[in-house]
Amino acid sequence: MKINHHADDATIMAYAAGTVSEGFSLVLTAHMELCSHCRERMSLASDLGGELLSELEPAPMSQEGLSNVLSAIEADTLDPVTPFKSPSVSGEMASILSAYVPHGLDELPWQSLMPGVRQYQLAGIESGNGSVRLLSISPGIRIPHHTHLGGELTLVIEGAYEDEIGHFKAGDLADLDASCNHQPVAVGNRPCICLIATDDKLRFTGLLSRMVQPLIGI
Amino acid sequence: MLAVTKLFNKSENMAAIPVSDTRNWLRSVAERRDRHAFEQLYGYFAPKIKGYMLRQGADDASADDLAQETMVQIWRKANHYDPQKAAVSTWVFSVARNLQIDRMRKHKFYEVALNGDTSSNVENLQHNEQLEDCPDTDRLRKLIGELPEEQMDVVQLAFFEGLSHSEVSCRLSIPVGTVKSRLRLAFGKLKLGMGEQI
Repeated sequence: MKINHHADDATIMAYAAGTVSEGFSLVLTAHMELCSHCRERMSLASDLGGELLSELEPAPMSQEGLSNVLSAIEADTLDPVTPFKSPSVSGEMASILSAYVPHGLDELPWQSLMPGVRQYQLAGIESGNGSVRLLSISPGIRIPHHTHLGGELTLVIEGAYEDEIGHFKAGDLADLDASCNHQPVAVGNRPCICLIATDDKLRFTGLLSRMVQPLIGI
Repeated sequence: MLAVTKLFNKSENMAAIPVSDTRNWLRSVAERRDRHAFEQLYGYFAPKIKGYMLRQGADDASADDLAQETMVQIWRKANHYDPQKAAVSTWVFSVARNLQIDRMRKHKFYEVALNGDTSSNVENLQHNEQLEDCPDTDRLRKLIGELPEEQMDVVQLAFFEGLSHSEVSCRLSIPVGTVKSRLRLAFGKLKLGMGEQI
C-alpha cells in the first residue's frame, strides 16, 4: 500500500511522549500498522524518550522498594518464558480496528447524519471534548466547511476524498490542526469511509452548517 | 515566561553504565529469569522511573509505587523486548509511560508494534535485514545534547511533564504553532543526525 499522507512530526512526538488522547492513539496506531514511514519516525521518537529517561536525575527509591518488587515477582518464578509474538494484520484494515468493527463495515449500525453522510460513533474512548467516529461519505458529497478548535486526525479506511490539501486514499492520514479550514469531498465510485478522531469540537464556518451542527453533534 | 526546571543533567549522569550492560541484564532476565540481573536493572532504572513519575505530577509515595510497579512489569514482560529493534531505555520508557497513562490519566493507550513485522511487504523485510544489533544510542545522546535550549524545553515538557501541545503553549506563553515548530525543528535535527531517510 502506497501511503502519501502522514502524521506530523510534532504529532509523532506527542504520541511517543504519551500526551495524546486515547482516540488519537487509536487512529495513529491504525495508520502506523500500515505505514512503515511513520513507524520509523515513531521508533526514533521513542528512542528519544528512552534517552531522556536514561539521562534523568534519579530520585532515590524507598528502602522497602526492592524487597516489595522482589516479593511481587516471587510468585512468577515458575512461569515459563513464552516467546513474544506480534499481532498479525490481515487485509487492508488495521487489526486494531477489528475490535470495533468485528463483522465488517457493512454490518455497523450506521446513523444518517445528512443526505449521503452516515456516521458510527466508537463508544468508550477517551477523547477530551472530542470524539472518535467512522464517517461514510457517498461519492460527490461535500462535508461543509469547518475548522477545528483542537486537532483532527482522519484515516481513510476505504475509498478516497479530496480537499484543499490534497487527495487522500486508503491508508492516508490527514493530520490537521486548529488553523485548518477545509471542505472534503468524497471522490471515486464508492463511499469514502474514514476514521476520525478529534480532541475538541469542530466548528462549522458557514451559517447553515452552524445551524445544523447541534443536530449532527460533531 | 516560565523557565523550565533543569533536572536534566547533560554530562555527569550519562554513560555511568554502558548500554551493553543494561541489555545483558534484561536479556538474562528474559532468558534465565535471573534475579541478580534484575536487581541490577532495578538499581539503574527504578530511581530514574521514579524521577519520571515525579515529573509527571505524582507525589513521592505514588511515584515510588509506580516505579516499583513498572519494575514488576519489566520482569514479567522482559521477553517482549527485542534488542535488535530498540535500546533497553526505549523499551523501559514505553513500559513506564504506558503505566503512567493507565494509572494517572486513567485511559487506554493504543501502541503500535514498532518491530516492523506486522506487515509482510517487501519494503519491511528489507528494512529488517538492515537493522543492526541496537540503535546508535551514543549518537542520539550527542544529538540531544546539541539541541538548542528553547527546543529542548519544549521536548522535556512533552516527555517529562506530560503536557500536550496546547498545555506547553500555555506554560511557556507561546503560540501552539510555535510549540509544534520547535518540536519539528528538534525532531528534524535528530532525523538528519541519525541519517534516516524519514
